[in-house]
Amino acid sequence: MPKIKTSRTKPPPSGWDEIEPTLLEFEQKMRDAENETSTGKRRVESTWSVMRIHHQRSRYIYDLFYIRKAISRKLYDYCLKRNYADGNLIAKWRKQGFEKLCCLQCIQPRDTNYGTACICRVPKAKLEEGRTVECVHCGCRGCASSD
Amino acid sequence: MSKNESLQTWEDSEFPILCETCLGENPYVRMTKERFGKECKVCAKPFTVFRWLPGRGMRYKKTEICQSCAKLKNVCQTCILDLEHGLPVQVRDSALGLEDAAPRDDINRRHYMENQARTDTPLDFSGRANPAGREMLKRMARRGPYYERNKPHLCSFFAKGTCTRGNECPYRHELPKADGELAKQNIIDRYHGTNDPVAKRMLARSSAKVDGLAPPDDKSIASLFLVGLTAETSADDIKGYFYAYGEVKSVNVVPAKGCAFVNFKTRAGAEAAAQAVIGGCVIGGKSIRVAWGRARPKGPRADAPKPTTAGAPPPPPGSTRAMAYPSQDPTAQGAQPK
Repeated sequence: MPKIKTSRTKPPPSGWDEIEPTLLEFEQKMRDAENETSTGKRRVESTWSVMRIHHQRSRYIYDLFYIRKAISRKLYDYCLKRNYADGNLIAKWRKQGFEKLCCLQCIQPRDTNYGTACICRVPKAKLEEGRTVECVHCGCRGCASSD
Repeated sequence: MSKNESLQTWEDSEFPILCETCLGENPYVRMTKERFGKECKVCAKPFTVFRWLPGRGMRYKKTEICQSCAKLKNVCQTCILDLEHGLPVQVRDSALGLEDAAPRDDINRRHYMENQARTDTPLDFSGRANPAGREMLKRMARRGPYYERNKPHLCSFFAKGTCTRGNECPYRHELPKADGELAKQNIIDRYHGTNDPVAKRMLARSSAKVDGLAPPDDKSIASLFLVGLTAETSADDIKGYFYAYGEVKSVNVVPAKGCAFVNFKTRAGAEAAAQAVIGGCVIGGKSIRVAWGRARPKGPRADAPKPTTAGAPPPPPGSTRAMAYPSQDPTAQGAQPK
């Protein structure tokens, strides 16, 4: 995200003014999450808040463009280019079965012992009764489309 | 020891040596294998670690000791219990009278293991040479696999009241039983069969059970009760076995139940026999459990009418439906025995 505005910097596309305060808020939240102390947390837990805000912010842009159709293609591309949203994650959300995907790590079978997806991808109905899971990658408690 | 043999060879195995309980209920268990993943907790050599989940709601288990150490004692690589009986090493060794011949110290131990691997007569842990001990082990062993053992460990934070993970905590949220003695266990002691609190307790309990063969107070009882006979065992076989301890008045065999009563002429004969067959005896190749007989009820048998335990009275005429709620059940009124 470029912070320096020069005379050559292109002005952002129209509609930016409406979404800018929300994105700034997300940015502030992300800063707080980054600076949060990790004492009292497990090692895997330390990155969960960052992953959550990252997901929320991408979801916000995705919602505006694909669901509510409130922003223009130009503005959407601008946001992706400035890393306000994760393009790869959004690409997954557009696919069937991945509508609620929590993070890209959770569908990476090469990273697991048995070549499977993460536990949070298992539908609630398939898990044993009364079991709550939190995946180690992002603390997701279940992101199957059927949940 | 030649130079080649003394070279430390690291264990690289394809399959672990495990007991049924540790493997869990599911026959389609999947495991991860890590070559030289950890050091053996007994001999400190690197070995191949296997890790698997023994069923739903259980904890992940892994192999703790190397295969050469496990073979040396015929124990499971994970739970260090005997592979045949599922009992602690100390219990098995004291029952079968086995000596711990393996040296503890590093180089001697390695040499001993190499010799063991080369020998044609491997160590015999089956107890075929010691039927009484084998019988005792059989009595102490569990009938089937005991999967409770695979449950997650207790949450120590919960015990202190500081677990913040709540429902997501993978450890068991139960308070530990106030059993300070059993809490002091370690793998090395359990492996070598020295001061293992579990084994100590089992042995104490088993000797208490043997005391159960103490002669009853009623001096008129001079009969022993045998269980576990085969159909081929005849009264003569039994008589022949017990005649050595005292004159046998009669032998009543109940072939349908596989049991028999041995009536001695004297109480002393019965006591001598009971003393000798502590831990069971072997008649006709089959091990048999022995207990004291019961006193015959004296006097004429009172044929007391049995309390009627017939079911509920028939429903009132005209009603076709079954009872809809509990208060309609006349047996639930409290007047009749259920």
